[in-house]
Amino acid sequence: MMETEEAQIATGLRRRDPEVLDALIEQYQHRLLRYLIHLTGDRATAEDLFQETWIRVLEKGYQYDGKSKFATWLMTIAHNAAIDHLRKRRPESLDEMRDPEDAAPFEPVSDGPSPFEQVAALEDRARIQAALEQIPPIFREVLALRFQEQMKLEEIAKLINIPLATVKTRLYRGVIALRPALMGGQE
Amino acid sequence: MNGHEHDRAVDLINRREVEGVSEADARWLESHLAACEDCSQYELALSGAERAMRSFTVMATGSLVESTRARVHARVVQLRERDSRRFLIAISFAMGVVFSTLSAWAWWKVGGWMVERFSLPSSMVGPGVVFFWLVPAILLGVLLVEFPESKFEGSVMQLLMKDRQRGIQ
Repeated sequence: MMETEEAQIATGLRRRDPEVLDALIEQYQHRLLRYLIHLTGDRATAEDLFQETWIRVLEKGYQYDGKSKFATWLMTIAHNAAIDHLRKRRPESLDEMRDPEDAAPFEPVSDGPSPFEQVAALEDRARIQAALEQIPPIFREVLALRFQEQMKLEEIAKLINIPLATVKTRLYRGVIALRPALMGGQE
Repeated sequence: MNGHEHDRAVDLINRREVEGVSEADARWLESHLAACEDCSQYELALSGAERAMRSFTVMATGSLVESTRARVHARVVQLRERDSRRFLIAISFAMGVVFSTLSAWAWWKVGGWMVERFSLPSSMVGPGVVFFWLVPAILLGVLLVEFPESKFEGSVMQLLMKDRQRGIQ
């Protein structure tokens, strides 16, 4: 019987196979970094946590059973690494960890629009980016997992280790918090 | 329209894209949205948020990926060495247990003979036997802690460790 991709990953992680780890880093590099940037609001911190996450993947690899999606397990490891980091840095709250003056974490997609469209798009992005930076990381994290990782609400609840109702509330409040920016600041 | 209907509508809006909703729920939602301005606005906001989130991309730099790989590879080596060492200690412990069990009777007899021969108090037999019983394990433990792996080069233990490392790789 053919092993599933997840089962192959689980086998490779149990063996601590560097080739498997290299392939995983290659495959998930952008998604993981994007998630960590959304979570921390700071690229430098996210890059530190990116490395820490892969070290934890190596060390805890034997815990991955290959029955769930690797991406979900990876994001769980990243989430926990971020929480540990933030607790060490500012024990009081995850909500208060973000510094608005930190370097801009997002990079726009380059898809070749006209100069006018580029300016308009940049303004839109700047506005949305500013709105994203203003909303608490706990909302931003749910938005990222939902819209970028396309995770089910139940998967998000399991990943963050919170009740499903709380995920729904965070999603709702995150969307509402973004609405003024999406409406072009007309609200 | 009551609060329960709004909650249901919001839940269906949230689930429609990823989890999907049944045809009956989709029909109910459409009719609700046609009549409810708040839920309709939420649906628009959700679509906008989704587009906004997807409009951003983040690229990990090559240097970040390379340095991560280097750290991971170095950690792999460390963990393998640690595993080999643990394996060696486990084997030593197991051998110690087997040897101690097999030699317990002999040590007890020797202890009894020593007490009789040197006219020592009989209460010394127990502690004395336990001490000599543990001597091989204590010596082995001291050797493992004090000496680097290279001192065991060529030993049976070293060969066992190398076999295990090859197995892991």
